[in-house]
Amino acid sequence: MEHRHVEDEMMTAKEEVLKKLVQAVVDGNLELAEEAAREAVNAGVEPYKAIIDGLSKGMEIVGEKYDAKEFFLPELLLAGDAMYAGLNVLLPLLPKREAGEKGTVILGVVEGDIHDIGKNIVKAMLTASGYKVIDLGKDVPVDEFIKRAKEERAQVIAMSTLMTPTLLSIQTVEEKLKAEGLKGKVKTIIGGGSVSDSWRERAGSDAYGKDAMEAVSKVKLLIESVKAAALQLKDSEEQKPKKEKGT
Amino acid sequence: MNSDERLIAVLSGRKEEVDRLPVINSVGTYTMDAMKTFDAYWPAAHKDPRKMANLAMGLNRLAGLDNVTVPFELTLEAEVFGAPMEFFEDKIRWPSVKGFIAKKVSDLKFPDDVTKAGRVPVVCNAIRILKKELDGKVPIIAYINCPFTSIGSYLVDPVEFHKYLKSDPARVHEFFKETLPYYVNVASAFKEAGADIITFRDEGVSLDNISPKHFDEFVKPYLAKLISLVMPPRILHICGTLISGKLEIIRRMMECGAEAITMDEKTPMNEARALVDEYRPGFPIGGNISALMIHKGPVEAIRDSVRRAIEEGTDMVAPGCDFWIETPIQHIKALVNATIEYGTPPRRR
Repeated sequence: MEHRHVEDEMMTAKEEVLKKLVQAVVDGNLELAEEAAREAVNAGVEPYKAIIDGLSKGMEIVGEKYDAKEFFLPELLLAGDAMYAGLNVLLPLLPKREAGEKGTVILGVVEGDIHDIGKNIVKAMLTASGYKVIDLGKDVPVDEFIKRAKEERAQVIAMSTLMTPTLLSIQTVEEKLKAEGLKGKVKTIIGGGSVSDSWRERAGSDAYGKDAMEAVSKVKLLIESVKAAALQLKDSEEQKPKKEKGT
Repeated sequence: MNSDERLIAVLSGRKEEVDRLPVINSVGTYTMDAMKTFDAYWPAAHKDPRKMANLAMGLNRLAGLDNVTVPFELTLEAEVFGAPMEFFEDKIRWPSVKGFIAKKVSDLKFPDDVTKAGRVPVVCNAIRILKKELDGKVPIIAYINCPFTSIGSYLVDPVEFHKYLKSDPARVHEFFKETLPYYVNVASAFKEAGADIITFRDEGVSLDNISPKHFDEFVKPYLAKLISLVMPPRILHICGTLISGKLEIIRRMMECGAEAITMDEKTPMNEARALVDEYRPGFPIGGNISALMIHKGPVEAIRDSVRRAIEEGTDMVAPGCDFWIETPIQHIKALVNATIEYGTPPRRR
């Protein structure tokens, strides 16, 4: 009985600290998030669990509140900061292989645009969902997206733009991906104030995210499709008769 | 009835006097076709009053739009306060600032005479040319990018700025309080140069970005003051979501004091009309044709969209944003022709 009681107490302590992590993110409270992350470690919560059931859960709630127009950009940005404050404590404690295992996303605001508020929110949401995000920042030249996607073996390039003339940059990325034979191996998603799903069709991008929350769910699908295609390719290569070799 | 009489009548609440609804764009009357036809390319047209005037007149001349608008960008005010500019000399792009210069209000540069600062004189001179050449027949609209958007998107890093709304509201208020007279003076200079109408453009304050509570705290008091200090007629233009469920900023916009408000396709015209009429029946509103749709076409879709906007109660057929620069001139003609077809005579309610 006594033993059982202690276990229960530990359980409750762990749950309490996870709740605190969630709340810190929802409130956008940096100090509290950092403090709660340390408490989680001290209470013996697995770092991975603290990220998923604490920080990510918090961002998920924030996303829902944004969709419901209870939260707006300021609340979203502060929540992102709180999440990063917690991640700074927890990520170094994570076994290496777990980082980036879910997939890698190259993210940036296209050339000619310095507005990256939406991109920063997408970054926070993707990070919260466990993806490795390579943030190229704003005003990113076309070639940089492609170069980094190759270097990082990324599955997805995510491009954001607010201003119309920069849409041409997105088209150029698509054309260059095609020219390099990377279309399909690297998928693209676009978002931002001046793009839409019908524009995506014209540009030849693979997906459009109307906001950060939708971006995350679409990125998930894109990464799954890239991985599935790669697997299929591998299978068919293995089944291919060897005679083709040398012809 | 000429374009000037038509638009001024609507803005004065005398819609019943017009021969047909006006079709305008109070935030941009240029496209690539206009740049080509009148040899008024960017970036030269941002800096040369003659070219600016030529480009502004482009769509009135080529397609019969009911107004001309200057300038063609959102960075004019930021430049006045010291932002380093990027004009993309060999490309057709919106001018941009090279970086964000301010974390606090004392980081801004305050010119002795704002009417001589940056490209304010260029716009004033372009307005003078337009005034002379249009001879009062086509209304000249000049716009300013209002404090929230120009400071929060072009002077302060928007990521930090939006966090300040919650973490350091005093800092935000200080920006707005200190800069407000400069916005008043720029708008008044445009007016004195001959602008018939001033548009107050504030893209960053819709429900897509900030809460109605923050609108009340950081936007409305300053917009109301700014608008009250500039001679009418005045239009308040905010793009993005203005109504969402029980939340709305339409009434708040009306309370800012302009003679009319305009919106984009993210706000359904019938909902806007209903809200507006509940508060002040017949208050002039404009919009809400998608600029992207006008760019893409086809012509039938443009006609349909104009018909619907008129049926749902717009007083001024207008795109919700600048025209996309590559919009074919036929599409703008379709916008104008559909307004003539469906907006003559204007509907009585």
